[in-house]
Amino acid sequence: MAVGMNLYSRGDKLFALATSVLIGLFTVATFYPFIYIAAVSFSGGFAAAAGKVVLTPVDSTLAAYKYILTQPKFWISYGNTFIYTIGGTIMSLLIIIPGAYALSRPQLMGRRFWNLFVAFTLWFNAGLIPFFLNMRDLNLLDSYFGIIIGFAVNAFNLILLRNFFESLPQSFQEAARMDGANDFQILWKVYIPLSKPAIATITLFCIVSRWNGFFWAMVLLQSEEKIPLQVFLRHTIAFLSDDHEFTATLSSQPYSAESVTAAIIVCSIIPVLIVYPFIQKYFEKGILLGGVKE
Amino acid sequence: MSGVKLEKIVKAYGRLEVVHGIDLEVKEKEFVVLVGPSGCGKSTTLRMIAGLEEISAGDISIDGRVVNRVAPKDRDVAMVFQNYALYPHLSVFENIAFGLRIRKESKGHIEKTVKEASDILGLTPYLDRKPAELSGGQRQRVAMGRAIVRRPKVFLFDEPLSNLDAKLRTQMRAEIKQLHRRLGATSVYVTHDQVEAMTLADRIVVMNDGNIEQIGSPMELFMNPANTFVAGFIGSPPMNQLQGNIEKVSSGLQVRINDTVIDLPNNTNVEDGQSVVLGIRPEHISLSNNEGTSAMSISLNLVETLGSEALLHAKFGEQDMIVKAETNGQIDHLSEISTVYAPTDLVKVFDAKSGLVLSEPFSQGSNT
Ligand SMILES: Nc1ncnc2c1ncn2[C@@H]1O[C@H](COP(=O)(O)OP(=O)(O)OP(=O)(O)O)[C@@H](O)[C@H]1O
Ligand SMILES: [Mg+2]
Repeated sequence: MAVGMNLYSRGDKLFALATSVLIGLFTVATFYPFIYIAAVSFSGGFAAAAGKVVLTPVDSTLAAYKYILTQPKFWISYGNTFIYTIGGTIMSLLIIIPGAYALSRPQLMGRRFWNLFVAFTLWFNAGLIPFFLNMRDLNLLDSYFGIIIGFAVNAFNLILLRNFFESLPQSFQEAARMDGANDFQILWKVYIPLSKPAIATITLFCIVSRWNGFFWAMVLLQSEEKIPLQVFLRHTIAFLSDDHEFTATLSSQPYSAESVTAAIIVCSIIPVLIVYPFIQKYFEKGILLGGVKE
Repeated sequence: MSGVKLEKIVKAYGRLEVVHGIDLEVKEKEFVVLVGPSGCGKSTTLRMIAGLEEISAGDISIDGRVVNRVAPKDRDVAMVFQNYALYPHLSVFENIAFGLRIRKESKGHIEKTVKEASDILGLTPYLDRKPAELSGGQRQRVAMGRAIVRRPKVFLFDEPLSNLDAKLRTQMRAEIKQLHRRLGATSVYVTHDQVEAMTLADRIVVMNDGNIEQIGSPMELFMNPANTFVAGFIGSPPMNQLQGNIEKVSSGLQVRINDTVIDLPNNTNVEDGQSVVLGIRPEHISLSNNEGTSAMSISLNLVETLGSEALLHAKFGEQDMIVKAETNGQIDHLSEISTVYAPTDLVKVFDAKSGLVLSEPFSQGSNT
């Protein structure tokens, strides 16, 4: 502004200010729960239960962590969550990537029908009980494989990737076909490398939804040794709040239901925080740059 | 004999027929250019040869084998696309090597072949770069490299130069011509630029609206256009076309346009009073009254200077015409011109209704 040239109008500046404020508020609103949960997990049992924690731990202690980390069931369920997340994500990608490619091919027989068939499930599904009965009849209740295969195909992710494939210039696959590539080679050597950002996106969606997957695991799994962390969390909350003896001695315990819950949540967040930056780097822009001339 | 033969080729999209049964034979080592206005079916025809588009009727054979139902990869053809279609995630080397890797060629063979191709195309310093780090002309060369390493029977080009600026286009045009001389591969090249067609082709195929209007060497098309469409398409600027009527007089044949009569060669197949189109090439019109010419009074609108030549945009009666004149370094005298002379033996006569030529063709060899 020193040179006296005003590149931005008053309206522009106001708009920039308003956007910054809104984004700032949003960041605080989404970030605060993390701080709060972390603070509670390190707080004394009584302070956590009494809601005294605001931003920093009160009566700092590692008691809640000691309590859960010494529970064998915690480690088993943690391991299960990894199995469901890794197995489920791999299964999803194995089905979604070739499926999206097939649906994006103009020469696919009955293409409109198949696309409608997939999109249909975005709006309508059979509902809880028929799905449960279906899983039961397929002998997929209380089984690792049932959880992994049962939720492998997500129509939204499939359509997302199909649309991305469709947006790639036709001439890539035509050039590859002229070069002698078959559909598998086109998919593997051309489409997948060109679609890294899209595939990273659906991979992240799959990981997060598998990691947080709770409801169906609760409905379909009975054995304690097969439940994922989220179901273990629920069991723990139920157990600690129902335990009269535990409640009675609350003031003498260094941990409470609240601080233990928070500690489990913190433990469950850490792997996602670790994985995210690795996937983030695939969200590069302009990967198509220079391949074709528009 | 790695020629290409099209017999009664039809292409329809649903009920819409866009190529109406064309016949074409490309001989071994021949460079054939398909030229025509936008939407006339050039790309469609080329893509049918490539196998990227199904044929609705007719037969295509490559090297004497009917390939109607053969997949692109088994036709042994390579194609250079208008938008290059380079793989953005692969280096120049890998782009060129892609087809060889797919065909599981040995490592040594790939190294050697890619190196040869990159030497020919001047790409050796760029082999490690990604397509995004290349200029338009270099990308175009990579696209060609990808085609030549496979040593295909037939090369197909779909407007490969249309994304380049004028200077680079001229340069690449010459390179393509040299490359063809060097490799001697049968080539089919699509363009809507008649200059490209004239300079590159052994034979030109002029297409219009899904039909072939004429096939011939560049000079044949220039000297003996089969109809008014070809006359108006080939040459820059194209042939002047003037509406008139035939008059048979004792001294021979004439065409009357308004008050002017222009003499015709005696071997023109016309009848007295027939409505015709008189075709005169801008470069055949002379400014001096030589023997065997007919005078035409024109009113000059504009002189366009090209350097060694100038284009005189003029009205002849109500009709537009263009004269191409040598400047010899001077243009001042050109703006004074009011009469030009049409050479009797170089004018062409077309039927006004059908557009078909009525003049006898110039025999081969006596051209220009
Ligand atoms: N997939 C399609 N469905 C329907 N019509 C099509 C399709 N592809 C091409 N056409 C039509 O076929 C005709 C020929 O198209 P083509 O691409 O061969 O033209 P072209 O001669 O290559 O033109 P240009 O110089 O503009 O590239 C056009 O009228 C076009 O609209
Ligand atoms: Mg085209």
